[in-house]
Amino acid sequence: MYQVEASKALLKPRLWARRTSRLRVPRNVVMLGTVSLLTDVSSEMVATVLPMYLIFSLGASPLVFGAIDGTYRGAAALVQVLSGFTSDRWRRHKEVAGLGYGLSALGKVALVTAGSTIGGVGAIVAVDRVGKGIRTAPRDALISLSSAKDKLATSFGVHRAMDSVGAMLGPLVAFGILFLAPARFDAVFVVSTLFAVLGLAVLVLNVEGRPQRAPREGAPPRLRAALSLLKDRSFAPLLLAAAGLSIASVSDALIYVGLQRTIDFDPALFPLLYVMTAISFMALAIPVGQLADRVGKVPVLLAGQALLFVVYGVLLMSSVGYLALAVCLVALGGYFAATEGVMTALAGAVLPERLQASGIGILITVVSLGRLVSSLAFGALWFAIGLQSAVLIFAACLILALALSAPLLFRAQRLALDG
Amino acid sequence: MDSRGGKITVALVVVCVLLGGGYVVYAALGPSQTTTGASPSAAEAAGVPVMVRAVDPVKPTLNGRVFVVEDGRVVRRSHDLACERVYYAAGWGICMGVAPSGVDYTATIFNSRFEPLHTLTLLGLPSRARVSADGRYGAMTVFVAGDSYLSSPTAFSTRTTILDMKSGEQIGQLEQFEVTKDGTPFDAVDFNFWGITFSPTDSNTFYATLATGDHHYLVEGDVNSRSMHVLRDGVECPSLSPNGTQIAFKSRIGDENRWHVHVLDVAGLKDHPVAEQRSIDDQVEWLDDKTLVYSDGENVYTAPADGSGESQLLVKDATSPVRLESRSGA
Repeated sequence: MYQVEASKALLKPRLWARRTSRLRVPRNVVMLGTVSLLTDVSSEMVATVLPMYLIFSLGASPLVFGAIDGTYRGAAALVQVLSGFTSDRWRRHKEVAGLGYGLSALGKVALVTAGSTIGGVGAIVAVDRVGKGIRTAPRDALISLSSAKDKLATSFGVHRAMDSVGAMLGPLVAFGILFLAPARFDAVFVVSTLFAVLGLAVLVLNVEGRPQRAPREGAPPRLRAALSLLKDRSFAPLLLAAAGLSIASVSDALIYVGLQRTIDFDPALFPLLYVMTAISFMALAIPVGQLADRVGKVPVLLAGQALLFVVYGVLLMSSVGYLALAVCLVALGGYFAATEGVMTALAGAVLPERLQASGIGILITVVSLGRLVSSLAFGALWFAIGLQSAVLIFAACLILALALSAPLLFRAQRLALDG
Repeated sequence: MDSRGGKITVALVVVCVLLGGGYVVYAALGPSQTTTGASPSAAEAAGVPVMVRAVDPVKPTLNGRVFVVEDGRVVRRSHDLACERVYYAAGWGICMGVAPSGVDYTATIFNSRFEPLHTLTLLGLPSRARVSADGRYGAMTVFVAGDSYLSSPTAFSTRTTILDMKSGEQIGQLEQFEVTKDGTPFDAVDFNFWGITFSPTDSNTFYATLATGDHHYLVEGDVNSRSMHVLRDGVECPSLSPNGTQIAFKSRIGDENRWHVHVLDVAGLKDHPVAEQRSIDDQVEWLDDKTLVYSDGENVYTAPADGSGESQLLVKDATSPVRLESRSGA
């Protein structure tokens, strides 16, 4: 009896230790991941049903929102940089992120109570986007400040994986509710509000606002200090590399359209492309993050970027079977897993503690501008010289971007390790 | 702080699960939002019966019922169909709308007694529907959400499919057809097709809009050879007259999303505006070879096709007008 008890007691902590040593992620990161998961369930629930709701209940066309989307995409970029800097200046990342999450939650409440006019829904969509713009940079800064420098990529991997679980669950929850209660959009909005409120509650109650690496002393940073990041000797090369790589990468939306043109499959299966990529991303985000912490973020980042060559290769094939398609989507998921989160982790390692949110805000904005340039350029090339030639040109650009950005990134990483 | 925060969170989760679950159960047991009631009022005596979908200016949840209006009164109505777009010819109808569950968009193929025969899931927001005069082929255009890949505020993507009405099977997507312009192959990333109209004499021949860049080309296509060729620019949502000699279409005013109704000769491809002053975003229908019928989204109007006279209100609170043959059965 005694012996059994004893062996159990011995076994238990060892098992626990083995599990945690495999994936030791700060509690704060898991909590921030939970916040994102819950918030994404809430947002994706609404995003899934909103077009149907507009027609069914308001007799309006969702096309009205096309223009809103374009306008706010530009505004969101500005909001990101400002909210990043403000949260660094006040040293209140949690509060600024909370404001962003709070705005989105308020939007959901407003949908339940006042979402019966088209103008009302438009305003709510706008508020939601602003909220997303506000929260991203301070939240990523919190993830970074909560993690040791040699565990940053794992932390971002865990966060991004949890985030995408939420994005996958949202539509399922919404469809589940409409299946049980046909056309009761109010029930979808009520449940979405509850998810948003829960997300906000986990942030307020369970996220530590001044984590491990958060600066506690020194003067609050000035705007000039944030702007001088643009010529910082380790962050500027990283920004340059991020810009180059994002311009040379074909956006996922265009890859899907290209695949659809290349492969003659049932268009009803089109959403499966997104789902397969998302599953591959979810499965790979954490192990790739761990790998990046072990062998270095830059090699993993560059290898992840190089996975795009697999995707380009499939786009160049004259006929694509299902095997090639599956390989392509797994590669695409791996590319996402090894780039966005790892790049942010690298920024977190390179940036001074007091300017984490400002720098991450600038990075996100630069990358999204790069993607916009890439989409416009790829679209124009496709139009002018056809899909395959456009892909070949982008493949050449990616080789160039990889060759130019590799030394920049290694330099940034080395300076970060020295300093 | 940790343990207290954790306890409050757990309590909140329990409260939220109870509230959310309770609300969903309440909603599931409560009445679902059904569309009944709204009825259009016929303002003018129409010589031929016209099928329309009703809109209710006060309660939009009542939109979508299908009515047949003749000689200034409602002669028939559907009890089950709720459509965003409706079309009908030779005993075969298409009703594009939101599924009763509200989960997705569907198209229903129905017969002359408004009975549903096939239901198809649509890839996006219903936009245009047509049935060939012999009832053999159907055509549908939808807007695809989340597909505006050129990131411009006005960018959107459409899918246009041709159906076999009897089987409800898809014959092809215009996006997969070959296109030629001035005899040479023509393709671009931003190709969008919408607004098919079938030839009244040969349902294998159709016309449609091909949009690319700033252009809105009129294309003539062939279902059997799965091909199209470009005829001219500046034509959206073509609609062939019953005798097949003229095409009514919407002509964009500048770069805005505003359109005037024009009519062109199929033979000479020359066009003239009609006397309608409102902006019309609709695929025009022909009441007869001399008269157009269309909706501004609120009411149904007619106008002479030759550009003379002025537009007249035909049916109040209705959209998606369809000409019916006097004894077609619907």
